[in-house]
Amino acid sequence: MSEDTLSVRNEMDIISVRGFGRNVAAQLGFGVVDQCRITTAISELARNIVVHGGGGSVTIKTIQNDKKGIEIICKDKGPGIRDMELALKGGFSTVGGLGIGLSGAKRLMDEFQITSFTGKGTTVMIRKWLK
Amino acid sequence: MKENEEIVIELSGLLEDNAGDLKKQWVKEMTEMGLLEKLTPVEIEQQSSAIYDTCVLTLKTGMYEAAKKYAREMAKKGVLEAMTVDQIIMGMLKLRDVYGRFIFSEYKKDVEKLYEVLGVYEPVANRILSIVALSFVEERERVIKEQQQAMLALSTPVLQIRDQILVLPLIGTIDSARAAQIVEQLLNSIVDAQASVVIIDITGVPIIDTAVANHLIKTIQAAKMLGADAIITGISPANAQTLVTLGVDLSMMTTRGTLRSGVKLADEMLRIEVVEKR
Amino acid sequence: MEIPILKIEDFLIVSFQIELSDHEIDMLRESILDKIKETGARGLVIDITALKTVDSFMARSLSSIADTATLLGARTVVVGMQPAVALTLVELGLRIKWKIITALNLESGVNLLRKSLKSGKEMVHE
Repeated sequence: MSEDTLSVRNEMDIISVRGFGRNVAAQLGFGVVDQCRITTAISELARNIVVHGGGGSVTIKTIQNDKKGIEIICKDKGPGIRDMELALKGGFSTVGGLGIGLSGAKRLMDEFQITSFTGKGTTVMIRKWLK
Repeated sequence: MKENEEIVIELSGLLEDNAGDLKKQWVKEMTEMGLLEKLTPVEIEQQSSAIYDTCVLTLKTGMYEAAKKYAREMAKKGVLEAMTVDQIIMGMLKLRDVYGRFIFSEYKKDVEKLYEVLGVYEPVANRILSIVALSFVEERERVIKEQQQAMLALSTPVLQIRDQILVLPLIGTIDSARAAQIVEQLLNSIVDAQASVVIIDITGVPIIDTAVANHLIKTIQAAKMLGADAIITGISPANAQTLVTLGVDLSMMTTRGTLRSGVKLADEMLRIEVVEKR
Repeated sequence: MEIPILKIEDFLIVSFQIELSDHEIDMLRESILDKIKETGARGLVIDITALKTVDSFMARSLSSIADTATLLGARTVVVGMQPAVALTLVELGLRIKWKIITALNLESGVNLLRKSLKSGKEMVHE
């Protein structure tokens, strides 16, 4: 079991946090493709933190019970997501991206949970299990 | 707590002092049960000493790491050398009996003390037994998993038929684990062989459902991103009908009826001229 | 970090060797476009062999570099994508928006450009 929290304030932090995530995933025994999926999902969510959330943190945990896996929690104290359904549908972007950050991260991982309060911020939890 | 510590020291001291006799007793009982038939006398001596010492060490230190490590090694060896799990666990149960009887005879005059000692001894003995049993289960699961993976890899050969053409004949039922494995293997093969066309032949796939169709489409798109074209061949009429009914977007796929016409198309795409010998 | 933009024949070649920040990608886009204008290059090859992660921002940047370069007269090919990256991009849901022409390696990328320039035809992306 390991747990690390990294703060994410600017775009340089996006690169370091996803690099850190890749190392944790590799050490847990994830294959190259899963490492890529996990790293990309972290990158998408970390970019949301920087662009929409005005900074926040990413926590990367290893799970080693009956099932092994990685858990990532991305938190920001930004304005929150007003229309969740639309944000998760994909193709929706407020800043001219491809608009597939949230829905993409969801598709790349095994588990996805999001809680968002208008004016208080957004927390996204994603998990991938080692098969 | 402090009393416990004293008992632990006393008990482990006793077990160490009497190691020779107790080990002999244990080996004798196991031999009578026919548990050691496959081991040489040297192996018996080594293994019984190692197990005996590990158990005493675990009792003494309260640390189960050594026991876990030893059990894991034993599990590996046991499975490999066809020593049955049953035999090894019976052996461990016997050791627990030998220790237990020894404790009983040592403390029988002081029943209260006997209870205290058993109170220390029993949880440790039980924990060690559960560690041993679990190690075997884990080892077996690991072997099964390894074999499954080996079978997965065997079940999908990627054949290179020309410098730039790969053929992937799919045979048998495709579940999502196998589909994921096939996709990864094919994409890696494309890059390894620097192949610009890949033919996926599904003549041998009895049933295509939405999940399999989606994996196919995903493969085609990912191959395209790498810079390779994919051709699907051998879709049976029944499968074609299912795909249409399911509403799968076939415009994504380049298809040909047979592997032969697929290869021909690939040649045309690469402008390879095949001259037939007369 | 200065990324070299190499010129050979009528083509420019850019190779991404490290992970780039958003800002660095924007800077790189500028200098690629300047260089196309300056040299009158008719083709652009972007080599991403070394990239282990391509997220949607990076994909969008590549796509916009390719679009703008094409407008300036340089057809663009992206080469050397890692298998894991390709699979991840597909799963990310990029398929609809990805219109970039790709090739397996630098050599086939350059060949593709040559052929397309010689025939005068557009490279097609099915």
